[in-house]
Amino acid sequence: LCLANKNIECSFCLLFLFVEILERVWEISFLFVMLFCFCLDLLFQQYPGVSQLSSSLGGLSLQSSPQPESLRPVNLTQERNILPTAPVWAPVPNLNLDLKKLNCSPDSFRCTLTNIPQTQALLNKAKLPLGLLLHPFRDLTQLPVITSNTIVRCRSCRTYINPFVSFIDQRRWKCNLCYRVNDVPEEFMYNPLTRSYGEPHKRPEVQNSTVEFIASSDYMLRPPQPAVYLFVLDVSHNAVEAGYLTILCQSLLENLDKLPGDSRTRIGFVTFDSTIHFYNLQEGLSQPQMLIVSDIDDVFLPTPDSLLVNLYESKELIRDLLNALPNMFTNTRETHSALGPALQAAFKLMSPTGGRVSVFQTQLPSLGAGLLQSREDPNQRSSTKVVQHLGPATDFYKKLALDCSGQQTAVDLFLLSSQYSDLASLACMSKYSAGCIYYYPSFHCIHNPSQAEKLQKDLKRYLTRKIGFEAVMRIRCTKGLSMHTFHGNFFVRSTDLLSLANINPDAGFAVQLSIEESLTDTSLVCFQTALLYTSSKGERRIRVHTLCLPVVSSLADVYAGVDVQAAICLLANMAVDRSVSSSLSDARDALVNAVVDSLSAYGSTISNFQHSALIAPNSLKLFPLYVLALLKQKAFRTGTSTRLDDRVYAMCQIKSQPLVHLMKMIHPNLYRIDRLTDEGAIHVNDRVVPQPPLQKLSAEKLTREGAFLMDCGSVFYIWIGKGCENNFIEDVLGCPNFASIPQKMTHLPELDTLSSERTRSFITWLRDSRPLSPVLHVVKDESPAKTEFFQHLIEDRTEAAFSYYEFLLHIQQQICK
Amino acid sequence: MVLLTMIARVADGLPLAASMQEDEQSGRDLQQYQSQAKQLFRKLNEQSPTRCTLEAGAMTFHYIIEQGVCYLVLCEAAFPKKLAFAYLEDLHSEFDEQHGKKVPTVSRPYSFIEFDTFIQKTKKLYIDSRARRNLGSINTELQDVQRIMVANIEEVLQRGEALSGSAEIDTLNQKKYSSESPTFNKQHFLSYLG
Repeated sequence: LCLANKNIECSFCLLFLFVEILERVWEISFLFVMLFCFCLDLLFQQYPGVSQLSSSLGGLSLQSSPQPESLRPVNLTQERNILPTAPVWAPVPNLNLDLKKLNCSPDSFRCTLTNIPQTQALLNKAKLPLGLLLHPFRDLTQLPVITSNTIVRCRSCRTYINPFVSFIDQRRWKCNLCYRVNDVPEEFMYNPLTRSYGEPHKRPEVQNSTVEFIASSDYMLRPPQPAVYLFVLDVSHNAVEAGYLTILCQSLLENLDKLPGDSRTRIGFVTFDSTIHFYNLQEGLSQPQMLIVSDIDDVFLPTPDSLLVNLYESKELIRDLLNALPNMFTNTRETHSALGPALQAAFKLMSPTGGRVSVFQTQLPSLGAGLLQSREDPNQRSSTKVVQHLGPATDFYKKLALDCSGQQTAVDLFLLSSQYSDLASLACMSKYSAGCIYYYPSFHCIHNPSQAEKLQKDLKRYLTRKIGFEAVMRIRCTKGLSMHTFHGNFFVRSTDLLSLANINPDAGFAVQLSIEESLTDTSLVCFQTALLYTSSKGERRIRVHTLCLPVVSSLADVYAGVDVQAAICLLANMAVDRSVSSSLSDARDALVNAVVDSLSAYGSTISNFQHSALIAPNSLKLFPLYVLALLKQKAFRTGTSTRLDDRVYAMCQIKSQPLVHLMKMIHPNLYRIDRLTDEGAIHVNDRVVPQPPLQKLSAEKLTREGAFLMDCGSVFYIWIGKGCENNFIEDVLGCPNFASIPQKMTHLPELDTLSSERTRSFITWLRDSRPLSPVLHVVKDESPAKTEFFQHLIEDRTEAAFSYYEFLLHIQQQICK
Repeated sequence: MVLLTMIARVADGLPLAASMQEDEQSGRDLQQYQSQAKQLFRKLNEQSPTRCTLEAGAMTFHYIIEQGVCYLVLCEAAFPKKLAFAYLEDLHSEFDEQHGKKVPTVSRPYSFIEFDTFIQKTKKLYIDSRARRNLGSINTELQDVQRIMVANIEEVLQRGEALSGSAEIDTLNQKKYSSESPTFNKQHFLSYLG
């Protein structure tokens, strides 16, 4: 009985234990079920908001594969065709689907690393530059414009509310840059689009990463200024010889009504040689009155008003002047150019209002303040050693630009020179006043018709494109990140405030970032650009772009997220600065080191690093190619004859062009066009546009039997091989054979043949994809014009530079040192 | 000299149009006056006097209110009051004709900024000395400017309440009261205004 009892006791104990265990298991599984439901809840619940999910789950894509395609190792030395046949797109940041949809378009805002390193130490290990490339005022087809009494901004850091904030409850939101909790204003609770109340996260400001606000008068230091345009024109003998005046006046006459503005728009003209000439265009005069000021050492305005007149009221007089100007100076014997004093006069004219000054210059300024000497030694053009005079010779133009900037005046420069004109000094007038620079080397309206055509096309865009006045731009980023160096044409007013007297849709900017504090508390970082400007119709507006990127803590992830095109553009900007502040060879070395260091650092992350091969992650596979292209670019090349002004202009372009255009400058696109088919063609507006594959930039690809198109951004080359099929030459060029193709052909005739249609359709499609219409050159094989074309074949060896393969070997050597 | 002209909607102080003196020198100093003008607009309401002069140091503001719109001008203290008000009347009649009906409907600041062109033309008429002599003899219908209330802009802006009161006030009396204690002066002034 005792035993039986014990057994029963034991079994009771066991039973009791068993029940206990069951209870525990039940509790735990209950907990799991609860957790699962909670997760499901978060996943599917729309409110309080997707952003809360993202911040708790780190915003990472829920479908990330073990090794993303971007990290796939590529053996560069073995890969014969590194260039993809389709265009390279911007990498998409690794965020969940909702954030991806809301994120800023890469055409407006791009980062060199789409996976932000958590610490500065990690960034340093990767040996890659961290920075942003911006195109904040680009032409947009869709832009939500918000007219609201209150513009909701963070109380402490003043960030504009954006899609990446988190709503704590209906009434409070948390800033994604500084984490401060803010109240949602009452008006913001109402959504005017859906006419609903209580869903602030559905308002357009929170549903769009690019928005434009109509600003209240608090955002104005003065009533909005009118559009004011002043043209300052070189009319020396040299200028008349070059003949630009005819083209300019013609273009102005055609586009007078299309100048952005309203009924208050003002316009004025100043011409100069060794004296300065003003034009009284006061309404009521029977004809324009020319007033000459010869005291260039103490410039004054001959009359207080009537020099900058209302465009509509004085239109007839303006037309008369534009018709007369090209012929007014035909017999001039004036060889001097008093550009400095003319600019001083322009400054006086523009100071009361601000606006835009467009300067047309054809030679070295030789008289008065700011006069320049010829500094270029033609024998040094092919020098492999020091390249001098990349910086300004005087600070006159910079000082003038700063004064202008202070009075909300931007100075744009059109340099139409046949000889050295010290662009390095002249460019300062635009660089610091937020102006832009156009350059036409060897300009002559008769002897160089392609430059004349380029001027005409550029003017059309320049005069009619959108413009913003008295602007400022501020870039903000998540706590922990900071900005240190800005690139572009502007005046840096304080650590993050850029003063832009004018903003135009073709201006690009870049900024370098550093990681001040470790980003351990957050899995996402955000960047916001706010551009406050006055539209040409007197409206004060704020254009806001917000970009969101994930934070990563492993070196491999940093490499997985590299945006190689953004990196190369930022490096190019940095290299220009280095060339001017230090030397060109330093800059070149730094570019090579960028490749060596980053690939070496990458090598340390992969387990079986082979020294016999050069391995790069897929995301960086084009890096050596692009750097080689940059080393052969006019801005940085040595050993090949390069005129100093051409070099300086290329540097100016690097600093002010947006990424898409800059990439074409650095690495043009080459297509074969004599065998275009409809295979893979796309349909655009009832037209069939062929999509030929991209070819690598090597003569190896240029078969004698073919015809090729090279898209360099602002120039197209069509190269015709000596043995090109006659069918193509006839059907597309309209010539009976190769020999009869003219040396300077710049247009394709409109022929009624299939290949002509296809070719023109493709070229038009390429043209339409950019605001500035490029000029076309048809280049015959073995003609003298081919040198320019062949200089773009960067994969090939030249007397002065490596071929692509040799460059890879060089890098490999450097890594193994 | 007429330095700054501003037109705003009384109901909410929304600026409608403006013009600033185009001069390298004076442009920069106008910041302070502009901000005073903006603050003043916010304080105005239906009870505010329809004609008023406000002293601001070396400069003087003059304004009129018609049909819910305030027309304000900043000039040098020496500029004749009669001319200032005649100028404002001219602006009012043109603005009212061109834009009067649309004023209650707009929400954007400076919706009528293009009126600047007319303001500048009118300003020229009043500055040109020949025109001034002519104007002196016309405009006899203009309200006797002596009867227009005069106040100090700083006081008006610092006072918490909106500027309000009857249009006519004896300027002599006001000076008398200002010599007495500030509190008493304020209270009396306020009680006078009702």
